[in-house]
Amino acid sequence: MTEADTAPRRRFTLPPDLAQTGYRLIAAALICVALSALSDVFFTVNNLMNILRQTALLFLLASGLTLVILTAGLDLSVGANVALSACLAATVIKATGHAPLGFAAGLACGALIGVVNGILVALLRIPSFIATYGMLWILSGITYYYMAGETIHGFPPGFRQLGIGYLFGVPMPVYVMVLFLLLGTWFAQRTIWGQQIYALGANPVAAHLSGVPIKRRLVLVYTVSGAMAGLASLVILARINSAQGDIGEELTLPAIAAVLIGGTSLFGGFGTVAGTLIGALILTLVLNGMNLLQINASWQPLVTGVIVVLAVWIDTRTRKWSE
Amino acid sequence: MKHFTTGLILAAAIALPGTAHADNETIAVFTKNQTNPYFQAVRVGADAAGRALKAKIIQYVPTKPDSIPEQLSQVEDVIVKKPDAVVFIPVDYKALVPAVEKINAAKIPVVNITDRIAAGNLVAYVGADDYNIGLETARYLLKTMGGKGNVIILEGVKGSLTNIDRVRGFTDALKETPNVKLVAQQPANYQRLQALQVMENLMQSHPQIDGVLAANDPMAVGAIEALDGAGRKAMVIGINGSKEAVELIKAGRLLASGDFNGFIQGCLGTEIAVRHLRKETTPKEIILKPVVIQKANYQPYETPVEQRQCPTLAEVAK
Repeated sequence: MTEADTAPRRRFTLPPDLAQTGYRLIAAALICVALSALSDVFFTVNNLMNILRQTALLFLLASGLTLVILTAGLDLSVGANVALSACLAATVIKATGHAPLGFAAGLACGALIGVVNGILVALLRIPSFIATYGMLWILSGITYYYMAGETIHGFPPGFRQLGIGYLFGVPMPVYVMVLFLLLGTWFAQRTIWGQQIYALGANPVAAHLSGVPIKRRLVLVYTVSGAMAGLASLVILARINSAQGDIGEELTLPAIAAVLIGGTSLFGGFGTVAGTLIGALILTLVLNGMNLLQINASWQPLVTGVIVVLAVWIDTRTRKWSE
Repeated sequence: MKHFTTGLILAAAIALPGTAHADNETIAVFTKNQTNPYFQAVRVGADAAGRALKAKIIQYVPTKPDSIPEQLSQVEDVIVKKPDAVVFIPVDYKALVPAVEKINAAKIPVVNITDRIAAGNLVAYVGADDYNIGLETARYLLKTMGGKGNVIILEGVKGSLTNIDRVRGFTDALKETPNVKLVAQQPANYQRLQALQVMENLMQSHPQIDGVLAANDPMAVGAIEALDGAGRKAMVIGINGSKEAVELIKAGRLLASGDFNGFIQGCLGTEIAVRHLRKETTPKEIILKPVVIQKANYQPYETPVEQRQCPTLAEVAK
């Protein structure tokens, strides 16, 4: 990197997206090196698998959110969406004894909430922050009323494989994570719709003039975000084997943090799904490290905050330099 | 579902016409949130007592769980409506002192249950002592472990009164058994997913864990899921005596759960409030004896709270 500073200006540099992802990978790797040095159990297969499985949950929620933030929007309802979708899926599984039906219900519930968010933002032109914030309350209200403080627990072993199962020694949620990393990256980078999302995030007026159907793309990103929350709720349900009204509440802010640490700009048009995965990984590493090193994990929110601020600061600096 | 019955019962209680004597007092019951089954049990208990004594029960629950400002404003609203008495669980035992003082100033009698408020004039306090529940449940675990082995503590929300007292109970029990080693102590904020992940992480650095002391049932369940996932075995205890915990005790997956008995607290708090209004003498303080629910005594707890009978004050005083 110092070479780049001293070398004469060259036309050929790394694309900013790639460079940014690269820095983040280096940061994650540095944390790993530090933790391996400090704890002899960090670099064990079991621990690494745990980290990946925990990352997967956060990533599923954050990946859909990434698309929303790429359009300069925000979805604050993902945690509340997880709660309602999980409770609904749990009820259906319990009532019918049929896991695929519950799976479909959870996913449909999540996606439907996303559609409503999309309509509020795109058609009624309510700022996304407010629309999804309102949605958060509405969903929590429905979930609390519906559950009335009860817990639904005990699901069929087949369904639970989604959360606790292994395939070739790798936890199932990790496969789901890789699948959606590939799908998300392909969608964002390689499809017209994906490129339109970047375009409308970077400059909505220009995007509109060049024929991007803004409203439809907005509804699409909120739907995807909602559906991913629905999917995340199913993985959580399969993992913890129970649903309670407050099940996803604590997940919204970490998901947003994962996207921001991953380098997606809140102003839209800049960021990648892969970056979000690294963001989720960094957050998970911090908690894992604190547990392994016996540091009181109450400090985790503080560390998360510092990392978010640092990551965004470094991004704005590097982007200025590259201009 | 459950809330339908509760709703009907509530509607029935409200619809009951006032009879000749001083029936139909209005009792405002404050709980902390709509998500924790414990407070649901308190509300069901209060409703049951209201039904038995022909008093009208109105529930107040913050829409944002455990929100201090929201409970404060709910109290202000309730004072305007002038209920005959208040049964109060403060969201925070210090921050809600001004609220209790306002109720005092409005000359509405207050019965405090569950979390003891730091100051203010009370008709009575009904609670189960977190410290002793923690102590007794931990003792049961340590005894079952044969007085030796490695244990982990999963704490609730740092700084909350329940967590401070329960964990103090745990650690005091540990002091009595010097051959049991506390290998790690981490917060998981009373949440099951967090407990699951923290437990997964802790199992890496501690190859031998024989016991887990969780400061509530959801965290105990999270720990059990983590242990099962790793194919490891350890004895786990929780606190609350929730329905889920009772089922897991029956299935032999959870060793024990300290009973906090929200139902009885809701019953007794309401009964004291009503009897106080009817100028009967009532106890100033009731501390329920800690009960450790385990394999040998779980059966009565299988009855859903909605179908349980309120014990009378006379029965508890014995």
